[in-house]
Amino acid sequence: MKLLRFKNRWLPLFLLLILILTPAASRAEEDYSFDAAEIEKKPYHLGGYVEARPVLFVPDKNSALYKLNYYNHPAGKTMEEYNFRLQLEGSYEKDIYRFYAKTNTDYKNAYSGESERSVFYEAYGSLKSSPSLKLEAGKKTLKWGKGYAWNPVAFMDRPKDPNDPELPLEGYIVASADYIRSFSGPLKTLSFTPVLLPVYDHINDSFGQNNDLNAAGKLYVLLYDTDIDFILLTGGSKTTRYGADFSRNITTNLEIHGEIAYIRDHQKTFIDSNGTAYLKEYDTTSYLLGLRYLTAIDTTYIFEYYHGGTGFTEDEMKNYYAFINKGYQSYESTGSDTLLQRAATLTENNYGRMNPMRNYLFLRISQKEPFDILYVTPTVTGIFNWDDGGLNLSPEVTYTRIKNLELRLKAIFLIAGRDSEFGEKPNAYRFELRAGYYF
Amino acid sequence: MLRMIITVLMTLVFALPAHAVDGTELLKEVDRNLSPESYQTYRKLINIEPDGRKKEYTLFSVKKGQDRVAALFLAPASDRGRSTLRLGENMWLYIPNVGKPIRITSLQSVVGGVFNNADILSLDYATEYNVVKTEIGGSLSLLHLKAKNRTVAYDRLKMWVDAEKKLPTKIECLTEAGMLIKTLYFKKQKDFGEGIVRPSVIETDSPLYKGYKSIMIFADIKKRTLRDEVFTLTYMPNLESLRR
Repeated sequence: MKLLRFKNRWLPLFLLLILILTPAASRAEEDYSFDAAEIEKKPYHLGGYVEARPVLFVPDKNSALYKLNYYNHPAGKTMEEYNFRLQLEGSYEKDIYRFYAKTNTDYKNAYSGESERSVFYEAYGSLKSSPSLKLEAGKKTLKWGKGYAWNPVAFMDRPKDPNDPELPLEGYIVASADYIRSFSGPLKTLSFTPVLLPVYDHINDSFGQNNDLNAAGKLYVLLYDTDIDFILLTGGSKTTRYGADFSRNITTNLEIHGEIAYIRDHQKTFIDSNGTAYLKEYDTTSYLLGLRYLTAIDTTYIFEYYHGGTGFTEDEMKNYYAFINKGYQSYESTGSDTLLQRAATLTENNYGRMNPMRNYLFLRISQKEPFDILYVTPTVTGIFNWDDGGLNLSPEVTYTRIKNLELRLKAIFLIAGRDSEFGEKPNAYRFELRAGYYF
Repeated sequence: MLRMIITVLMTLVFALPAHAVDGTELLKEVDRNLSPESYQTYRKLINIEPDGRKKEYTLFSVKKGQDRVAALFLAPASDRGRSTLRLGENMWLYIPNVGKPIRITSLQSVVGGVFNNADILSLDYATEYNVVKTEIGGSLSLLHLKAKNRTVAYDRLKMWVDAEKKLPTKIECLTEAGMLIKTLYFKKQKDFGEGIVRPSVIETDSPLYKGYKSIMIFADIKKRTLRDEVFTLTYMPNLESLRR
């Protein structure tokens, strides 16, 4: 009876304890299964990305490009810019056919005004009769080359921004094929990618000279554990060019890569300080050498040296800046912006392109989750202009704790003197926040 | 007496290699019991932080033969469409936005957490390791494995094997100096059909990531015949088409 009383007294407590502990126990015992719907294959896919990116610029009012851009509407001590981006992507697949499209809408509200541009980045159809052969036609990006910041052999792509090399790019309308063969032995893979790229009115007209059909090809081999590509572009829109690249893992944490491009009959337009234009035609070579290295504490180093044979020399750039300054003086004394308008024309797709000079060093150091701060990755990137000694230094920190949301805070400091590429940019500093959400 | 000495010596001479051969055979059996030579699988990788917060990834993977593995990320949305490829010691990551495969190394991790690329794109153990010592005792056998070359992610492994089922229960991954990098625990045996009965969960923790845990859950493993061309850089953007 005594025992029974004891049991009766302790039983509710025991049951309560079980009740309290049961959820904890089930929490401790993880749910080791996942929903079949997660892995169900659907013929279609819809997704997208939305981004807000406010930017604060601190202008350098003595720089040549500030004078060129803002001579008739000077800015204050700072300039704000609000950027929004929406990307939608979808695909539909049936049997051996697949259609894929990706749109991009950019909206910008800046000191110089509002702008909006919507475009298909990619929209193409594929026919894959076997794993060895695929035919594609439509607008697509090819992204050839092994370099991280620059790709001298990416003959069929728009140039990427070394400050943000992983941003998606708009493609060109092409017809292409992929033929793949695998082997055993030192040569493990061989693939050939022929590409046709037409340039006519409203079709790829930004690629080069109009009314021409361009042909390109890439031969890829995986030989002795080294990726090697041989690339050719010919046709009338751009001069004929040949390229090759390689990439190889040296150890479990070190990769090396390189690219070389030989460009025939390159035409360079440049000016003297009075604005007199000259045209020089020459064969030239561009190349890149780089490495990626991962340390035991999860620090990643990416280092690249780039030589652009089509780039401007230091003197050619100095003449360009001198001409802008002359145009600005002329505007201030006479009110005429004729010279500045001419400088603006020369800037577009010429002096104003990404990294227009010849020799650059790139170093990106990225530390994953330092001091056990989870989902935080600080990175610092430096682009050093070897020719004029200028430095583009950009520290950034990304935070990815929330599922599908990426936050990035970034600053760009241009440490360079007058008459140098970075020293003559319109802004001395720039701070930006990027919030991007995938759905 | 001389005959006895010769007999003992002969027994020792033949017994030592026999142990080594047994270990190698056992390792090969473990490999085949873990997965067919060519197969497809769906996996979920979960990284669990010390405070219990989780980050999950869902992958579709295919493997062929000794040294070909490819994986496609299905979720989350921020990683969907990414794919990884391993051909022997060569590894690549394809990110749709970047648009081209880039080389990665075995010690990196495309998902963060305790699993690195070598764990996610693992090959047969017998492909990468030699058995240097076998300890047989009771229900568990202990295999001491040594990497065949310096490109393998872990120099040494200690693998505890269920002697009856010929499946691993625990693996310690060590450096050349014997420092523990991580421990893999094989749990929750499951019948996947087609004669594939194996642990459906692999947990890992590491003294280098105190309090963190990563889990790999297998939802489905099926034998599948695949062409070699599937395991090429050029094919990486098309892995989705292998799903049925």
